[in-house]
Amino acid sequence: MANLERAPRKSINDLIYDLIFKNYVWQSIFRTGYPNTPRNQMLAVATNVFLHLHPTRIHRTHVKITHTYCLGGLSFFMFLGLTVTGVLLMFYYVPSVERAYQDIQALEANVRFGQLLRNMHRWMAHAMIILVLLHMMRVFYTGAYKPPREFNWVVGVVLFILTLLLSFTGYLLPWDQLAFWAITVGTTMVGSAPVLGDESKFLLLGGFSVGPNALIRFYTLHVIGLPLVISIFMAVHFWRVRRDGGLARPL
Amino acid sequence: MVSRAAAAIRTRPRREREAEVLVWPDLVFIEFISALIFSIALMVLSAMVNAPLLNRADPDTTPNPSKAPWYFLNLQELLLHMEPAWAGVIVPTIALVLLAAIPYWDRDTDGQGVWFGTKFAGRLTVFGFTAATLITSLLIIWDGSLHVVWTENVIRGLGLNSDFAWPGGLDWFRNLRGFDTGIPWDSLGFTIGGFTMFEDWRAIPLGIPGTTTDPWLLNLNFPSFLSQQIIPVATMVGLPVLFVLFCKMLGWIHTRRDIALLIFSAFIGVYLTTTIVGTAFRGQGQDLKPPWDIVVLEE
Ligand code: HEM
Repeated sequence: MANLERAPRKSINDLIYDLIFKNYVWQSIFRTGYPNTPRNQMLAVATNVFLHLHPTRIHRTHVKITHTYCLGGLSFFMFLGLTVTGVLLMFYYVPSVERAYQDIQALEANVRFGQLLRNMHRWMAHAMIILVLLHMMRVFYTGAYKPPREFNWVVGVVLFILTLLLSFTGYLLPWDQLAFWAITVGTTMVGSAPVLGDESKFLLLGGFSVGPNALIRFYTLHVIGLPLVISIFMAVHFWRVRRDGGLARPL
Repeated sequence: MVSRAAAAIRTRPRREREAEVLVWPDLVFIEFISALIFSIALMVLSAMVNAPLLNRADPDTTPNPSKAPWYFLNLQELLLHMEPAWAGVIVPTIALVLLAAIPYWDRDTDGQGVWFGTKFAGRLTVFGFTAATLITSLLIIWDGSLHVVWTENVIRGLGLNSDFAWPGGLDWFRNLRGFDTGIPWDSLGFTIGGFTMFEDWRAIPLGIPGTTTDPWLLNLNFPSFLSQQIIPVATMVGLPVLFVLFCKMLGWIHTRRDIALLIFSAFIGVYLTTTIVGTAFRGQGQDLKPPWDIVVLEE
């Protein structure tokens, strides 16, 4: 039987919808329409470079907040936030013993939102360490390190160490008393290693004590060396979560 | 023989398509909200609390106490109780290696993917964490000689003996160093088969005389070795072993996962306690102090 109903007149909402999501430019950016059908929702995840870190569908237990508390994701989010605020800080900071401290003072006093920028970077760094530790605890207590995820746990331990190193290298940069003596204490501990202690300390500081060479080494490691390395390990980490069949589930 | 890859595939749970949800919107929404909450919270925190900035760095004025960043203060705390090489490098290295090795030792795939997956997991976690926290605190109090101060104060305060002082015979129990300085090592020599062991406990010849010039190999300072290395290391190895034996006795341990739960929880307890003590309870000269009595002097 033929359908005798006429197509309903388009409402104003539909017109706006079509205008935004069905025009040539939008569809050149996002291949799918607005993700309001299962097909489009899956395509939205699968065809977007950022979202495709995820699978298109996941098991129901894993979207429960109490399963992961979002801790891994939030650790990553802190890393992203630290990268953004860190790049902005680099505009104002010169890693020389003559200028470093003065630059931080000037940032706080003369730059609009400079103090806020510095605070954000600082507190996010602390938050990241705590979040990574909590994430490790969540993974441990849910037994998610068991086969086949052994290696991803090891990658995680490396990520934890790198997170600490990133924070430690950043700690020296303001070149105030807190920074100077914390790094002095920290590197003295390294120096007490039974083998290659003095050598590692010298390598880290570029000398026998904290000075200009140490500042430039810590700076370089902090803004480029360690971020690159940790990005690589994070890529492996996320890739392995997918490869190992998503998050752990009871057999 | 089954290859590792095949084994890994076998250990996967069956896929349950009917129990799956779409990542968009279910997961993306949660991620978005949690990111938003954290952004706002950090923004508010940053608007209220400023990052510290002290005076310009000055190599000639040492703050007392000088502290590493807070996340290394657990190691700095260890430093007070043992040989620096152990505290600063060997212990953390071993701890990280053991941490990374957990999955290679506990391979049983049972109980994965759920919180506290074994029968006694809850008890093991609570016991491990609490007992480790308590014992660590007690050890720190003991090594800080607080028991000496407290005993003296209580006995004097009760009017039992107004000038009571910790008895010299118990000097060895003042703190860890007591094993070094509170024992009359000089009079402890004894003789076996014509050899005197040892005329000088602080310089026990180890190498064959004349074969090496390394003084460390030639002479061992036994009292210091005992208090700074043997006892701390024996404690760090012995207590976990005792924990495991104790929980075995209670019937709480059936698998390696149970042992891992116990030791990991104890580790978290020690990690937290040492971090908190190092951060908030160490004043000048790294003396134990309540947080409100701590001032930083510049010397
Ligand atoms: C920079 C640090 C880290 C980041 C950004 C990160 C990120 C993530 C993310 C986003 C996930 C997905 C599930 C979730 O959010 O819980 C995950 C899972 C996982 N992470 Fe991490 N992680 C980090 C550090 C660690 C550490 C320190 C460990 C362990 C020592 C670890 C071990 C694991 C394991 C085994 C999984 C799979 C969990 C499962 O299957 O349920 N990660 N990580």
